[in-house]
Amino acid sequence: MLTAEQNDELTAVEAGTRMGEVLRRYWYPVAFARELAEFPVKRVELLGEFFALWRSPSGRYGIIPEPCPHRKASMAYGVVEEDGLRCPYHGWRFDTDGVCTDQPAEKDNTNFQNRVRATAGKVEELGGLVWAYVGPDPAPLLPRFDVYVMDGFRDIGWADLPCNYVQIMENAVDPHHVEYLHGRYFEFIGAHEGFTAPASFGKQHQRIGFDAFEYGIIKRRILAGASEENDDWKVGHPLVFPYNMRVGGGGIHQMQIRVPINRTTTRFMLYTVHAPEGYEPLEQPAVPDYEIPVFDERGRHVVNYVEGQDIMAWCTQGPITDRTTEHLGRSDIGVAMLRKMFKQQMAAVENGEDPLGTVREPHERIDLPCEKDKFHAGGAQFALDFCDMGSTRFSPMLDTIRKVHLSAADRVVKDKAAGRPSFTPEGGIGTATLTPGTSAQVDSE
Amino acid sequence: MIGDRRFAADADAHRRDQPRYCPACATALDLASEFWEGDERRFYCWCASCEWTGEVTTTGATALGHEPEH
Ligand code: FES
Ligand SMILES: [Fe+2]
Ligand SMILES: [Zn+2]
Repeated sequence: MLTAEQNDELTAVEAGTRMGEVLRRYWYPVAFARELAEFPVKRVELLGEFFALWRSPSGRYGIIPEPCPHRKASMAYGVVEEDGLRCPYHGWRFDTDGVCTDQPAEKDNTNFQNRVRATAGKVEELGGLVWAYVGPDPAPLLPRFDVYVMDGFRDIGWADLPCNYVQIMENAVDPHHVEYLHGRYFEFIGAHEGFTAPASFGKQHQRIGFDAFEYGIIKRRILAGASEENDDWKVGHPLVFPYNMRVGGGGIHQMQIRVPINRTTTRFMLYTVHAPEGYEPLEQPAVPDYEIPVFDERGRHVVNYVEGQDIMAWCTQGPITDRTTEHLGRSDIGVAMLRKMFKQQMAAVENGEDPLGTVREPHERIDLPCEKDKFHAGGAQFALDFCDMGSTRFSPMLDTIRKVHLSAADRVVKDKAAGRPSFTPEGGIGTATLTPGTSAQVDSE
Repeated sequence: MIGDRRFAADADAHRRDQPRYCPACATALDLASEFWEGDERRFYCWCASCEWTGEVTTTGATALGHEPEH
C-alpha cells in the first residue's frame, strides 16, 4: 500500500512534479515516420502537454509547444516551410530551435522576436519512429536499442489506453501474472470460444528474481520443468526504465513501449522484429503499423489474445489504480522494487544527476539482455503461438510474418543438410549479463 | 488554469508593472492591456469612471530626446 500522496507523486507526469521532471529526461516515440510523410505536421500529446511536430520538405524535424506565443492559436495547424513552422493565424514563423524568424505584421524588430521564442525540443527518426526529447538541456543521446537497428521484419501494433503508465510498468515486473492471465484465464476463454490456448503460458512459476541494472530491472523466472540453467532464469529480460520492456524469444524481438501521453492515457506500442535463425532479408521501405483492438462493440475488453488480456488487467485497475487500498504479497516484490527505483530517480534528478539509463556516450547500438528460448517452449513453437495468440493476429503483415518464420525454418534445415551456418540477425544478448538473484528473489515452491 | 510556463516571467512582469490607477481621476483602471512595440512595453489603459484612454510606456531610468534629421 501507498498513501494517497505517495500514489499521486508516483503517477504524476506533468511538468513541475517530481516524477514529471524525471520523465522529461528521456526520449519518447511521438509519431510513426509514415505519418509525417503523409502529412508534415502533427499534434502530439506527451507528458500532459501538447506540441506541434513537423517535418520540413528536406526532412528536418522540429517540435515546439502547441500554443503560438503570439495569441495561442495551434501551431499544429501550422504551415510547414523549409525554414520552419508558420502559425496559421498571423503567420509568425518558428525554426527548429524555436527562434521566431518572422512576424509579418510587425515592424522589423529582433528584440520583440527574441522575447517570443518558442521552447523547442529535439527530434530524431530511428527504426521507423519519430522520437522527441522535450526536457532540459543538455539533451541526452537517443538510445539506439537493438530492436530499432537490427535486421529483421518489423511491424508495430498500438493502442491508446485509458490508464496511467505506472500500472503498466508494474506489470513488467510481475512474472506470476503470465501463469494466470495468459495461462488459466486464456484456457477459460478458449474453452468458451472454442480454441486451444497455448500450453507454455500456463506453466507454473517456481521462483522469480529481479536484478537492478544500468537500464532498469532484469526479471527472471524458473517455470515448472526448468532450472537455473534455462534462459528464463539465467538471462531473463528487462524492464527498460522508465517506460519500456524488452521481450522476445523464438526469433522474435520486441520492445513493449508505454508512452505517458497524460496522467490517464498511455500509448501502448508493440515494436516487433521478426528475426529468426535462417532469416532471409525482406525489403521494407516503411514500417507498417496497426491498431490493436481494446474494446468490442459492446464495450467489453477483447480478451482472446495475450496483449488484450494484459490491457484488460491494466485498464480495469482504474485510470489511476488506487494503491491506498491494494494488498501486495511477497510475489509482488518486483513491484515494490520498481517503486523504489522511481523514487531513487526522483531524488537523483533533484540532486542534478542524470537519471537511470541516460545515454551520453555516442554508440552504434545498445543490445539488451533477453532470453532466446522463452518458457522453454522451443523457438518455432513460440513464434507460431506468438503469431496466432498475440497481437500479431491483427497485423496486416500476418501472412508475411508467418512466411518469414516458416521459410527461415526451412532454410535452417537446408543449411544444416548442406553443412553451412544459417544467417541469424544479431539482437539481444542471449547470455547472462549479471549473476542472477542479487536484488530480490522469491521462491513459490 | 495552468499557464504557459514558457512565459511565466513575462506574466510576472505584467502583474508587477501594470498601471493601477487612472491618471485623471485616480480610481482603479478598468483595463491595462500590455503590448510590445519594438523594445518597448506599452499598456493600453482605460478608465470606466471618467472614460480616460491612453497608452502608458515603461521607460526605466532613461529619458530619450528625439534625434533631429541630419
Ligand atoms: S497566433 Fe500565431 S501568429 Fe498569431
Ligand atoms: Fe502479460
Ligand atoms: Zn479616470
